[in-house]
Amino acid sequence: MFKHILLPVDGSELCMHAVRLGIELARTCRSRVFALHVVAPYHAMANVTELLAVGETAYTREAFLHAEHYLLAVQTLADSAGIECRSDSVLNDHPHEAILQTAHAQGCDLIVMASHGWHGVTRLLLGSQTQEVLLESDVPVLVCR
Amino acid sequence: MYQHILLPIDGSAISLRAADAGIALAAKLGARVHALHVVVPLPTIPFLDEIIATSNFAYEDSARVAGNRYLDDVCARAKAANVPCLSSLESDATPQRAIVAKARLLGCDLIVMGCNGWRGLDRLLLGSATQHVIVHGGVPVLVER
Repeated sequence: MFKHILLPVDGSELCMHAVRLGIELARTCRSRVFALHVVAPYHAMANVTELLAVGETAYTREAFLHAEHYLLAVQTLADSAGIECRSDSVLNDHPHEAILQTAHAQGCDLIVMASHGWHGVTRLLLGSQTQEVLLESDVPVLVCR
Repeated sequence: MYQHILLPIDGSAISLRAADAGIALAAKLGARVHALHVVVPLPTIPFLDEIIATSNFAYEDSARVAGNRYLDDVCARAKAANVPCLSSLESDATPQRAIVAKARLLGCDLIVMGCNGWRGLDRLLLGSATQHVIVHGGVPVLVER
């Protein structure tokens, strides 16, 4: 069955709900998980950089600190469930790209992700990154709401 | 974890792959499955009778026969895996509506289905039925690729 589950983590409450489901599934199937956080590069935030008081170095440092915080939350849940969890945070303009690359590189056989991310359920029928992953994934995707 | 898994099948290879995945997961979780096939009635357009060689009733009969065959196939696979399986055949112009209604009625806690079915450009589009079920199903959806 599923042996290595990829958990994309953006830190939103919706995604943590999916993470909890993914970890529970891993516990039942005796699989291991890989938690991934994708950081948007400074240039991808171009339209707001005039508003940002910080330069690229400070932004990137902050973003990776947040990443560590989110991934640590996932690690804690995994440890409580007694399942092996590795993680990584990467820079990519398009989170879905990093998600698919990581699934492939890590040999994951299932992706568990929320239907929506930070924008929440109000704006789109289906979150843009979830939609992209569903379109291009080689492995099954468990979509949680 | 998941205890009652709905398996909507349209008879396409991908839907049967999804059914296999759903059955394997059910076996692992000690869950039961419910296989569902939805027959789409031919739209009644007056002049169409002259164009198509078969009548509405004949179409519906052969569609039901095919549907029952798909359901028998899935039930046999479930039985081989020692997974309790019930099945039903419905008729609805929009299959996704019947799928969502069935999941709600049966109290299913997971739906496992293919990312698209017979129609749609293979991997370029997310099937409309799958999209609808993810958005309106109310439960997690495992999308098989």
